[in-house]
Amino acid sequence: MRKIVMVLGIIFLSGCQMRVLDPKSDTAETLTDLIYLSFGLMMLVLIVVFILFFRFLSKFRETPETRGTIPANEKESKWLEITWTVLPFILLAILAVPTVKATYELTAKVSGNVEETQGDVMVVNVEAQQYNWKFVYENGKESFDELILPVDQEVQFRLTSNDVIHSFWVPNLSGKIDVLPGEETRLSFKPGETGVYQGKCAEFCGAKHTLMRFETKVVEQSAFDDWLKKE
Amino acid sequence: MNVPFIGEVPSDIVVSWIVTVLLGIFIMWWMTSRRKWPLVGEYVTTTDNRKIGTMYILLAMVFFIRGGMDAMFIRTQLAVPENEFWVFQSQKYNEVFTTHGTVMIFFVAMPLLIGLMNIAVPLQLGANDLAFPYLNSISFWLFVAGGVIFNMAFFFNAAPNAGWTSYAPLATDTYTTGPNNNYYIFGLQISGLGTIFTAINMIVTIVRLRAPGMKMTRMPLFSWATLITSILILIAFPVLTISLLLLTFDRLYGTSFFLGEYGNPVYWQHLFWIFGHPEVYILILPAFGIFSDIISTFSKKRVYGYTSMVIAICLIGLLGFMVWAHHMFTVGLGALANAIFAITTMLIAVPTGIKIFNWLFTMRRGVVRITTPMLFSLGFIPTFVIGGVTGVMLAVAAADYQYHDSYFVVAHFHYTMIGGTILGAFAGIYYWYPKMTGKMLDEKLGKWHFWLFIIGFHLTFMPQHFAGLNGMPRRVYTYTWEDGLFLLNFVSTIGAFLMGASMLFVAWNLYKTHRYTDKVGPDPWDGRTLEWTVDSPPSEHPFHPIPKVDSIDAYWYSKLDKKPLPSSEEIRPSPIPVKTIQPLVLAGILIFMSIGFIYQWVWMQVIGGSLALGFFILRSLTDEREKTYREEEES
Repeated sequence: MRKIVMVLGIIFLSGCQMRVLDPKSDTAETLTDLIYLSFGLMMLVLIVVFILFFRFLSKFRETPETRGTIPANEKESKWLEITWTVLPFILLAILAVPTVKATYELTAKVSGNVEETQGDVMVVNVEAQQYNWKFVYENGKESFDELILPVDQEVQFRLTSNDVIHSFWVPNLSGKIDVLPGEETRLSFKPGETGVYQGKCAEFCGAKHTLMRFETKVVEQSAFDDWLKKE
Repeated sequence: MNVPFIGEVPSDIVVSWIVTVLLGIFIMWWMTSRRKWPLVGEYVTTTDNRKIGTMYILLAMVFFIRGGMDAMFIRTQLAVPENEFWVFQSQKYNEVFTTHGTVMIFFVAMPLLIGLMNIAVPLQLGANDLAFPYLNSISFWLFVAGGVIFNMAFFFNAAPNAGWTSYAPLATDTYTTGPNNNYYIFGLQISGLGTIFTAINMIVTIVRLRAPGMKMTRMPLFSWATLITSILILIAFPVLTISLLLLTFDRLYGTSFFLGEYGNPVYWQHLFWIFGHPEVYILILPAFGIFSDIISTFSKKRVYGYTSMVIAICLIGLLGFMVWAHHMFTVGLGALANAIFAITTMLIAVPTGIKIFNWLFTMRRGVVRITTPMLFSLGFIPTFVIGGVTGVMLAVAAADYQYHDSYFVVAHFHYTMIGGTILGAFAGIYYWYPKMTGKMLDEKLGKWHFWLFIIGFHLTFMPQHFAGLNGMPRRVYTYTWEDGLFLLNFVSTIGAFLMGASMLFVAWNLYKTHRYTDKVGPDPWDGRTLEWTVDSPPSEHPFHPIPKVDSIDAYWYSKLDKKPLPSSEEIRPSPIPVKTIQPLVLAGILIFMSIGFIYQWVWMQVIGGSLALGFFILRSLTDEREKTYREEEES
């Protein structure tokens, strides 16, 4: 147990550097908040169970005095049983509401429900194949394994695969969306900070799945415009 | 490596050939010099539940070594960034994690639990055997056939390589040619049939063969868990059978269920998880049952909240069928589906929580005796709760977009599968070992095993949560220095080797126990249920006369009253044990036929198919119990 606490401690000190917990877009921020909320609620449960566990274990462990004794039969307490049935329901309800809300918000952006994109949205078509990524911009410019995005600009990806199932994942910027053959899935987010972020294929797709990575560079709008115009 | 007459073969396979041959020669020599062949003959022709259960567990341990070695290769390859360990990169690495997953689920966890059910359930109920002893033997040999087929693949340099989930379209012949994934299909198909038969056998045994007075509401919780598990198997496994059949047709006969204009790869995911999610409850419920019995025995108290425990098992079983799409949150099923499956998944936490609190309150005001089986049960509670809370975190559909297919998920399911199923199986083996062999495993070595295993376990899998949060996808064979994953993975590797080392204590324990200790009496643990009223090991017809039961834990209360259990005058029909070589022959035929299909050699398919059909006809026309019936009538 002490080891676990130690490992937990060390790792939590460096927690702020972990990519999923270091969101750089609006979408990723929603997810990180949800992760922290669920983690906090679950920690409550964990602590209650651990306290009861260690307390009962130390208090009722067999000692030389109690070796021969037979504990009396006890009747179940209705109130205790109701407590540990109802309390989890309440905890889960607290978690379920933001879960459903976020799932609806993000999924409406993600899935193909919204036929026409409203407002000022940049569309990037993504084609995945064993084992690389092709990004096609609105003006027809193509880029392989390198995704360039302007900062503070909502971008919508329309993804499709040419062979097996892949999954598009930039941990700092958003969750995953699977890339399926013969279908179009969608994902959108608005990067909030310039920088270089790792992108990965997260669905096992064959021999070189490990190497199917791409680089995401979020740059200033002007730099992006220059890049887009270049042949 | 270039081998004469065969050609280019990876060096790990050559090494395994050499080791297998040497080990085979040694075992042959040992068996002959110790005159063990009659014993082997007795076991392979038996229909006795204890012997079959023991064989299940023995073989599961053999496969455990195989799956464990795969795990060691995985962890060694991932120990440091940009590593090139032996041959385990790229496709070879894919083969290793595919076989690791498949072997551990289907050929380790399942047979360990089914073996324990075979040994303990009839004894807990006061039954002399399972309801259908011959069918039980068939089940076992189908499992052997499936295991042999699946493990054979590696020796022919054709190990499956599409992951244990075998997702289409990667698993179709368009993207993975060759026999590799055919081995996966036929290995699982045949052992899966055996599992279905076991489920039928368990259900009938529990419904029909309980001792007089043992109402359903007086059954030990392991038997209850077995009943619910068997019902889950009966519903879930046919789904696997069907999906594997569809995949067979896609691979061998050019249909397009999962690919092309009319097919859809997402169908495979639905089918697989409609089976696959109940499957994880099939693996965990029997472990829950084992823990309930052990915690009650070693707290010297009736299990707290028996009724709510039973209701919780049933609820978990029921909800288990309504959550499969939480494996598919990122497929783009839409907001409504994702939200519904998120909520049903969270709901499972409620009955599971009820069980955890009931176990804790069973210990409260008891006298907790820390033996090896109890130690494993105690290790289970905090470990499984950690796995449970990450489960709830994963149920948050939107947040799952981040966790999905990352090492966070890997950590989560190892916390539940090892923390639940494997700890449960170990607890059960230490607990019921006297009922298997008549001897007690050494307590001191057992405790060494436990502590090394549990410390190694947390060291291995705790860091993987953070590797996942730092963006490490699963099923990758390497990572870079810039990924910032080195320390996490390195700790993980150290932990894995600690777990491996703990298994050496099991080997030492087995050797020491069988070499130096004597047989124990019927009730070495001061138990509460009927299995402790019969000899260790029990005879093939242990309950004679059949005991009468009037409460939960009837044997315990009879010991307190210092009166023997009353026995029943009633004569009840008992399963008839027979000696038969037929199940072994059937296993041979099915292996032969499967190889025909795997390599698409039509002549072999025809011969194998005709033999199998002939076997069924022969079987339909014979009944080995007739002799016993005739004798009964004459007397």
